[in-house]
Amino acid sequence: MELCHAVLNLPFSGPPLDHWTLPNGVRCVTADMPDAPLTCLDLWCRAGSASEQPGEEGMAHFLEHMVFKGSERLAAGAFDEAIEALGGSSNAATGFDDVHFHVLTPPDRAREALDLLLELVLQPSLEPDGFNTERGVVLEEIAQYADQPNEQVLQLLLSKGCDQHPYGRPILGTPRSLEAMTPEAMRAFHQRQYRGSNCCLAMAGPSSAELRSALGSSALADLLDAPEPSSPSSPLSVRPGRESVVVDRLESARLLMLWEAPRAQDQTGVMAADLATTLLGEGRRSRLVNRLREELQIVESVSMDLSVLEQGSLITLEVICPDEHLEAVEDEVNRQLRAMAEELVSDQELKRGQQLVSNGLRYALESTGQVSGLSASQTLWDRQQDLLHPLAFLPPWTAERLRSDLFPRLQPEQAFVLTAQAKTKHG
Amino acid sequence: MSNPELLIEPVSSPGILAAKLLLPFGSADDPAGTRGAHDLLASLLSRGCGRHNHVDLADLVEGCGAGLRCDAQEDALVLSLRCTVEDAEQLLPLLAQMVRSPRLEPGQVALERSLTIQALQRQREDPFHCATTGWRQLTYGNGGYGHDPMGIAEELDDLDREALLPLAERLPRASSVLALAGSVPPQIIDTIGSLEDFRDWPEGSGNDRSGRRPYAEAVGTETIQLEAMDTEQVVLMLGQATLGHGHPDELALRLLQCHLGVGMSSLLFQRLREDHGVAYDVAAHFPALAGPAPFVLMASSVEERSELALDLLLNIWDELSEQPLSEAALELARAKYIGQLAQGLQTCSQRAERRVQLKAQGLPDDHDQRCVRALAELTPTDVLHAAQRWLREPRLSLCGTSAALKQLERRWDRRDAA
Repeated sequence: MELCHAVLNLPFSGPPLDHWTLPNGVRCVTADMPDAPLTCLDLWCRAGSASEQPGEEGMAHFLEHMVFKGSERLAAGAFDEAIEALGGSSNAATGFDDVHFHVLTPPDRAREALDLLLELVLQPSLEPDGFNTERGVVLEEIAQYADQPNEQVLQLLLSKGCDQHPYGRPILGTPRSLEAMTPEAMRAFHQRQYRGSNCCLAMAGPSSAELRSALGSSALADLLDAPEPSSPSSPLSVRPGRESVVVDRLESARLLMLWEAPRAQDQTGVMAADLATTLLGEGRRSRLVNRLREELQIVESVSMDLSVLEQGSLITLEVICPDEHLEAVEDEVNRQLRAMAEELVSDQELKRGQQLVSNGLRYALESTGQVSGLSASQTLWDRQQDLLHPLAFLPPWTAERLRSDLFPRLQPEQAFVLTAQAKTKHG
Repeated sequence: MSNPELLIEPVSSPGILAAKLLLPFGSADDPAGTRGAHDLLASLLSRGCGRHNHVDLADLVEGCGAGLRCDAQEDALVLSLRCTVEDAEQLLPLLAQMVRSPRLEPGQVALERSLTIQALQRQREDPFHCATTGWRQLTYGNGGYGHDPMGIAEELDDLDREALLPLAERLPRASSVLALAGSVPPQIIDTIGSLEDFRDWPEGSGNDRSGRRPYAEAVGTETIQLEAMDTEQVVLMLGQATLGHGHPDELALRLLQCHLGVGMSSLLFQRLREDHGVAYDVAAHFPALAGPAPFVLMASSVEERSELALDLLLNIWDELSEQPLSEAALELARAKYIGQLAQGLQTCSQRAERRVQLKAQGLPDDHDQRCVRALAELTPTDVLHAAQRWLREPRLSLCGTSAALKQLERRWDRRDAA
């Protein structure tokens, strides 16, 4: 059985995409998915937490909440009720680089949903009463997050490892930064960031000429263009280092490591990072899982993640283990990382990694929500390409090249390392 | 092939196939004193079967970039395979081997048991998990639904290969269902029954629940469960055990769930979050189970606002049995019900899982379409009557600081006295 057959010569392509740009710079993309039961409309904006200026910490996310509190023409709650009465649903999410608002709706109601979505996101009313209530909700969100020790340790890793870079700041902000915010400051943030060339609208579902042509005369077309698109200003650099902390209510120890990886624009580099995390940490036969959990049996779990980001991606390794094994775990992780820079990975291992990466992308193209999200985020950041295009960057990563160009950058010396243990022992 | 019963659902996909094989034994069937046995068994099925030891099996599956797992739910074990069409023929027989010849090697049993015990311990970090576990215990006692499917650490300690064997041996003898969804190669449909691993599968015995343990057992008279933890928020869960999937009153309760918890226009979201800002996450849980499913409202709130949050939850709960929904609210709930159905069937895995679930619970293939047609007939009075029948005696589970718990317990006692 030839294991690599699907990687180089895919018999299936992703949904066909169509890209175009409005005169004011708004990027548009449609993904044709004729059999999809629901259409997804997804509006993305370069207005993530990394675009916040001093004094605005947490504003991008708070604004995402405030958007749903109503607009000039839609009273608070009217949007949700209208969308949900169509049999649809909506949600939003704020990241470091961007924020997005999406609506899932039956295809024949997508036109109505589009107008509602644009009205809401582009003309938020930011009423003072709603502003104060919603600040309370965000404070509850921060408290809920604070009650999850796992999340706290991860945030600490980012804060320490990213040093002064915005990726080190909590997206939710802090209770203090939120208390200081005003509707006026939020409006200024909105007017600064939500500009034509900072926005991208993706529509995935059964194709609709009506929907497509509606964009040209929609509220999107009226958006002011930006002098120039908001762009990543400060490149990320992870500060190597090591720290140990004691955390309340932690039930088992954690070893976390953070590395910087190429920025999203460098697709060859990103693909290598994806392959590396797969070889090291995905599946029972990956190096770290196999060695630490299956053979030595000294950890409960190993997970390694790649966050692809515009100013520099991040690789995190999280190992959960009993307190007494923490030292042995760190030694073994270091030994495994060094071996990757010295020895070649086997053919079988490489094929396994390629297959997992390649299928991972195919599995992510099933629903309209996944497809619209992927095509919008790529288009927003100037990567107008087929959704499976990134796989073209996979074959050049041979075992030799991985050893010479990739693994030497994934060594313990380049990482910020954080160990966390519980304050009190539980019986 | 009559066992497992084969269901095919062609879905256009990027060359992907999802398979779900359902076996009618779940955590509710864990024998007394070995709670967690089915979850442990489930995790061991993918740790060696037939000709493959645990290493060969992982090499084969991961080498194809596929996913293969088995999960213990309350009512069933569900084996899941996701792969590309090209690999389907090679990987599908593994599902049969996992059920008919799991290896259950003692070393793998010991490893998986230790991992489960560690995971159970770590879940205690999560106040939502602690509140949920408390609510289950309060409501179902020592019955089948009374514990987390992962089990109880102290009872897992003694579970070894010998204890698991009888549970494993009965898996192939029960009626099971296999659904394939996605890009299904036509030749597979024709040949699957004659593949070596699927051939001569024993006839399934009827899935009779008599003789199995009850869903709820030794339930106390307590109506409140407190779990002290040094947290910023208090987690509140209010609800009661109701009815099984397919019960005539289910649709009415499902409309109430939509009304209460689906979307930003839902009552919980509007009252707790929009009107009062006392919570971030709110939810109404009502899983589709064979037995009396939980109908639970959930919220979490910082200590000083938690009493208001509890008051709001109680008012919402009581209103369900006191006043009918408006026609407009009911119409919105109907739209949400239909929307939820569509959203739950977007991926091949979701479609395959829905097919096996309906079949296993003895419901017709077009059950969901029938429900949609029946929606229009349900009146606000019907829904009110269903609430009066099923939602009169809620129990409360809380997780938070001792001080907050004391205060909320007093509030609960005042209600009980009234």
